[in-house]
Amino acid sequence: MAGILEITNSYRKGCGMTLEEALHNNRYKIVDKWVEYTLSTYQASDFFRKEKDSFANPIGGTIRDSLKKIFSMLAKNEDASSFREPLSRIMHLRSVQEFTPSQAVAPLNAVKHITRDVLASDKETKALVTDLYDFEFSVDLALLAAFDLYVECRERIYKIRVDEIRSGKQILTDSACPSKALDNIKAIKR
Amino acid sequence: MSVAKLEQLSQSVVQDPSLATGAIPTKDWMDIPVVFKPGDYAYPAKQDKVEYLNSQKGLNFPNAREWSPEDDDWKLPENWKEIIIDGLGERLEKFRSLKIFMDCCVRCGACADKCHFFLGTGDPKNMPVLRAELLRSVYRNDFTLAGRILGKMAGGREMTIGVLKEWFMYSYQCTECRRCSVFCPYGIDTAEVTMMLRELLHLVGIGINWILEPASNSNRTGNHMGLQPHTFKDNVDFLAEDVEGLTGVKIEPTFNRKGAEILFITPSADVFAEPGLYTAMGYLILFEHLGLDYTWSTYASEGGNFGLFTNNETMKKLNAKMYAEAERLGVKFIVGGECGHMWRVLHQYMDTMNGPADFLEVPKSPLTGTVFENSASTKMIHISEFTADLIKHGKLNLDKSRNSHVKATYHDSCNPARAMGLMDEPRYILDHVVDWVEMPENTIREQTFCCGSGTGLNTDEIMELRMRSGLPRANAVKYVEDKHGVNMLSCVCAIDRATLTSLMDYWNPNVGVCGITELVGNAIVLDGETRGELDEGLRTMVF
Ligand code: SF4
Ligand code: SF4
Repeated sequence: MAGILEITNSYRKGCGMTLEEALHNNRYKIVDKWVEYTLSTYQASDFFRKEKDSFANPIGGTIRDSLKKIFSMLAKNEDASSFREPLSRIMHLRSVQEFTPSQAVAPLNAVKHITRDVLASDKETKALVTDLYDFEFSVDLALLAAFDLYVECRERIYKIRVDEIRSGKQILTDSACPSKALDNIKAIKR
Repeated sequence: MSVAKLEQLSQSVVQDPSLATGAIPTKDWMDIPVVFKPGDYAYPAKQDKVEYLNSQKGLNFPNAREWSPEDDDWKLPENWKEIIIDGLGERLEKFRSLKIFMDCCVRCGACADKCHFFLGTGDPKNMPVLRAELLRSVYRNDFTLAGRILGKMAGGREMTIGVLKEWFMYSYQCTECRRCSVFCPYGIDTAEVTMMLRELLHLVGIGINWILEPASNSNRTGNHMGLQPHTFKDNVDFLAEDVEGLTGVKIEPTFNRKGAEILFITPSADVFAEPGLYTAMGYLILFEHLGLDYTWSTYASEGGNFGLFTNNETMKKLNAKMYAEAERLGVKFIVGGECGHMWRVLHQYMDTMNGPADFLEVPKSPLTGTVFENSASTKMIHISEFTADLIKHGKLNLDKSRNSHVKATYHDSCNPARAMGLMDEPRYILDHVVDWVEMPENTIREQTFCCGSGTGLNTDEIMELRMRSGLPRANAVKYVEDKHGVNMLSCVCAIDRATLTSLMDYWNPNVGVCGITELVGNAIVLDGETRGELDEGLRTMVF
């Protein structure tokens, strides 16, 4: 795939800019919109967008940080396996929040539409829209990886639940003695 | 064209406008009903537990029944509304603070973004100001003139089943951590509002099992686990054997020994569940090293007090048992282990509930002669105060290199930090026993983030909720893990030791969790020890 992109990029569309350059030049704009779109899936999206301290705003911070990384990888057409770390951070969040699986991963897909829109809205880059195939294919791969990560996170949660139960705390609710004792108390009261 | 696609994408994944599902709210917060789904509520208390508690002298847990949050009909008593409004009126009379908290909020919003539940969910009703508003709106409606006349226009709201369900949802999405109160210019403590919400709900038979079962166990056998005296003793003996296996030093702890100088009380989780077990081994090593004249009790075998999470009377009763046992055994004072909310009960409520404990003496360290004037009334000191004083006076033979496999950070547990002000002693101890670093400033000390599972929310059926609310804490741990290679999160709370373990498993799986006394115990050089290389300290398996 990388080969195809290189060929595409090397042949400039009369606007003096390659797709790679266009993506690079518009990276802040695209990432901002992408972050905004992703955060708009939360009720408190205003706060998540505005607060810049990532310790005071871990959702906003994590989303911004990770999407930034993912975008630069997508723009450089990097191997899908390198998305794992930033993608995993996002999926860790979204798989324990109240989203359906499709809601959890959908915002990743948004970058396709945002990028098209940003490039198309500028005369200089308009012609490059037709070259987005490889970029969009990378987004597809990221989306597929996100599904795997989503399920991994869910499985992790189930395992943690089981581990907690196994750690011995079930004696709290399931041990025989206290319930037996309760019967005795009832008997005494009578 | 592409923007239209984006809208379609939004619509195809967004369904009902329910909270935090990604939908954009179209209604005022007051009008959005709560929906209970598996994973976002803790299981209701079992009927027999509620009946048992209700049968106890001085306790009031009426209207026991089987019910489910997911059902439309919660089988409330017919006059439930009257019970709630009367209950609220009674509490407004009884607790002046409640009346003040109801009246003086100016809605400045300073607390709004300080709650870990809000930060992890984005649900506006998890903003402390709105959480309190759930009660305040009813208060306004029924107890203020403006509310009576203007109703909704004055922010008033009639008590309905919908409101009651909201109370249940959001009073169990608050860990009473008090972080919000640190930022409120009026010192409004939303935790106290949550406590009132929970108290009122108990009046109509609504409570959760993870709280009421430990509370009833504690009332009956003396500890949350429901361990009977022989089991409790066996567990501690077992840990003493483990210490012997590791160090070659035989420790023989005593139980219920009359005339001992000190009664030692810690959360039962420490003698029962990992990783608290290692902290308990630390206590045994520390006391052996000092030759301390102390005893465990198999009756006051729980430092935790789940009464704090139910109502005033239960908290008082469970707290009283520690003092009754201290008096029975004739000890001079009490040393308390690494527990969180036990200390909040001690410092904020014990004195007016059961104190002052005049039959005990003001704690004085038998080794250094230090008198702990701060505990002059409660007669109980925290193990970290005790240990820090020992280190300061050079009474411990410590080999810090024994913890060289650990790079620690320190989590200020909400209650010791905010309700007790215990912040420097644990740090002083850490300085002497391990290499450690602080997490970012706005996540420690008074501003510490809760583990996300306090106040009896440490149950597994709400694991997703716990992971969300624990995110701000985990996020700060991740930072020091990435930056400094931290591999251990230390704390002085038994609930934290259990809950942070799960939290780390999810967010930062390479970080373990330990108590401070585990690190102390591992660093202590015991007289006559035959200890080999223990790569993982007290956690090393020896065969
Ligand atoms: S006490 Fe803690 S959990 Fe409760 S509202 Fe305040 S910050 Fe949130
Ligand atoms: S900070 Fe205090 S006064 Fe301001 S909104 Fe919150 S509770 Fe009200």
